[in-house]
Amino acid sequence: MPTLPEIGLQHYLFVGAAMFSLGLIGFLTRRNLILMFLCTEMMLQGVAITMCAFGAYHGNMAGQAFTIFILTIAAAEASLALGLIVLLFKERHNVDSHAWKQLRG
Amino acid sequence: MSFVLEHSYLIPLLPLLAAVVVGLFGKTFLRGWSHLPIWAGVGAAAGLSITLLLGLVSEKHEGAVGFSTVWFEWFRAGAGDSGEIVVGAGSWIDPLTSIMLAVVCGIGFLITIFAAGYMKGERGYWRFFAYLGLFIFAMSCLVMGDNLVMLYLGWEGVGLCSYLLIGYDQHRLAASNAARKAFIVNRIGDFGFAVGIMLTWYCFGTVSYFGSGLGGSDGFLEMVMHWQTHVPADRQFLVEWIPFALMLGAFGKSAQFPLHVWLPDAMEGPTPVSALIHAATMVTAGVYMIARLGGMFVAFPDSLLVVAIVGAVTAVLGATIALRQFDLKRVFAYSTVSQLGFMFVAVGVLAPVAGVFHLVTHAFFKALLFLSSGVVMHATGGQLDLRKISGLKKHLPITRVVCLVGCLALAGFPVITAGFWSKDEILVGAAQVSVLLYVTLSITAFLTAYYTFRLYFRVFEGPEMFPQSAGHHGADSHGHVEHDQEHAKHQDKPSKHEEAHAHHHNHEPLLLIAPLVILAIGALVVGVVNLPFSAGVKAHSLGHFLGHSPSFILAHDILEVRGTSIDATQLATQYGQPTEKYAKVHWVAMGLSAVISVLGIGLAFVLHLKDRAKGDALAKQFAGVANLFERKYFIDELYNRLLVGPLRAIAYLLDALEYVWDGLASLIAMVPQAAGGAIRLTMQRGYLQGYALTAIVGLAVLLWWVLV
Repeated sequence: MPTLPEIGLQHYLFVGAAMFSLGLIGFLTRRNLILMFLCTEMMLQGVAITMCAFGAYHGNMAGQAFTIFILTIAAAEASLALGLIVLLFKERHNVDSHAWKQLRG
Repeated sequence: MSFVLEHSYLIPLLPLLAAVVVGLFGKTFLRGWSHLPIWAGVGAAAGLSITLLLGLVSEKHEGAVGFSTVWFEWFRAGAGDSGEIVVGAGSWIDPLTSIMLAVVCGIGFLITIFAAGYMKGERGYWRFFAYLGLFIFAMSCLVMGDNLVMLYLGWEGVGLCSYLLIGYDQHRLAASNAARKAFIVNRIGDFGFAVGIMLTWYCFGTVSYFGSGLGGSDGFLEMVMHWQTHVPADRQFLVEWIPFALMLGAFGKSAQFPLHVWLPDAMEGPTPVSALIHAATMVTAGVYMIARLGGMFVAFPDSLLVVAIVGAVTAVLGATIALRQFDLKRVFAYSTVSQLGFMFVAVGVLAPVAGVFHLVTHAFFKALLFLSSGVVMHATGGQLDLRKISGLKKHLPITRVVCLVGCLALAGFPVITAGFWSKDEILVGAAQVSVLLYVTLSITAFLTAYYTFRLYFRVFEGPEMFPQSAGHHGADSHGHVEHDQEHAKHQDKPSKHEEAHAHHHNHEPLLLIAPLVILAIGALVVGVVNLPFSAGVKAHSLGHFLGHSPSFILAHDILEVRGTSIDATQLATQYGQPTEKYAKVHWVAMGLSAVISVLGIGLAFVLHLKDRAKGDALAKQFAGVANLFERKYFIDELYNRLLVGPLRAIAYLLDALEYVWDGLASLIAMVPQAAGGAIRLTMQRGYLQGYALTAIVGLAVLLWWVLV
């Protein structure tokens, strides 16, 4: 029975890159502000996974420590962003990003 | 006196300090008292100057007298090929300086006293006195400086003050135009002066008159005697242009033809200014310059010939124009131009003592005449037209007497006036050089006597014609209405405010009269300082005093080496140098000039007092010539056509071209503008995804560039 290869650095990096890319594609293709926001969160977590992977690989805690900070900030940012989206919704009664295109100046 | 020599800086500094005090606090605190600091500052300077003069006069001197004081090193510049120029701020005090200082500060002080009475209640009273203080500062720097740059500093400083004071009444267009004209015409002359200073430094390597002291050869006036050995060979061809360049500056400042046009217009300024700056002191700076730099001029005789010719032309020109002017102050202005011409002839014909002598006497009697015209103006509410005023002797008795004294001095009335002695010396000097010059100046002297007394007889004698506006002081409304109309008609004429004198009926307040009386005494007696023969006082006292000035000694030395057509004794007298015996007294010339003066006065008496109708008829008969004089030979018109017009056309052309250049520049600016607009409209659309895509693409490009 063939043994599964041991999970190594590449695998983690692949997952991280995949999450980042999916988030990016989602951000570029979706117009719903909530979905776009979720996509940015996903890109962020992709980066966090990459950091943890590198941290483990190099045998130090810098990656994990960074990730803890990123999580904290992501939490704060999530509450802010959602609050903003609620306000924007109150103004235009939808969450379409194109509704705000006149802000281009 | 040693105190003054040690602290010579006080003479310019005190008036400057007073001017600064008035400038800073005059508007808010001093207001109507603004004259007090100036009185103090200028008075102190006058005291110091006169102490200095008396000190120098009372000491026995042998040979050259000159005290050099360096106040501080002003600046140094340049290096390498032409060497470094070091300019110190310092004073050079010799007899010539002390006489000029006494005239400038002494007469300046009298005029500041007069001005306090005359300018009372004027708007900007403080401003006027601050400028006066600044003027005395600049003028004393001019006459005290020990090098050309100091002279230039004072020169430009007095020019600035002249500009500010002519345009003192900024709300009157004529005044501000006259101020600009004075400034611009002076610029032409000063350009020449600046070139002269640069050439002097380029050729001699210094701008100091006498260097660190007498006897050496580190000042350019000391080098000029043997200039061939001091000037580098490749620069020698420039040396003879120096006096010509410097002369231009003198012509501008002293209103000599063809740069005389600014002086008559300068009469738009308040009368004390006309008296101080445009008659007694500033305009004589050119004469001072040529006397001070005498060596430089006599080393190149052609330059003196030009000076003499220009002086003679100006003398005739000024006198003939003055014949047909009707504004009191304009007559005096052209008379000043003419008298300055006399002084230039004097320095041009190697008689600088006579030039300085006439400068001093002229300062007295011309300041006196201007100030009396100020009193007339004060009394008549600004009316100065000879055709509209007449017989004022009842209203202005003291003014009439002092003005008569001034007129006699200007006309050169024999024996009793100072003007006679100084003018006579110039005529004698001119006769030594050329008969033509002597005849020209004699005719001018005749015209001078005539136009002076035409004015006197018209204004003070004859049937009374006192402008109603002034006679009734607006006591009845009728008079006031008349006055307003009068004002409307003569808006361009300088008009003294009417409110101030409406409050008092005395036309001759003490503040106005006291300086006049002092000046009148001066105009009578100053002549004794340089009589051609001994009469109680020694002959040629002023000449012998001035002769100790190294400027005169060095110039005379050069002449002795070079030789002139003038008799040696006479030449020594004209330079104030000691001689075995006195130069002979020229009784014939003296008698002739006395006769000429009396004849001129007599003619004026006939045509302007005894039978005015006849005078007017005569003027009608020669209407062509009269008109030529009245319109000042159309010189202003000529300048307007030949110079101002084309310059203005060029200015318009350049203005039009400006639009073209501007358009081209705008065109270039439009490229980035258009690009920006295109980007804004196409790429900045407000879609979040678009921005994100741009950012990602940009990032990708960057990464590709960095990593691959």
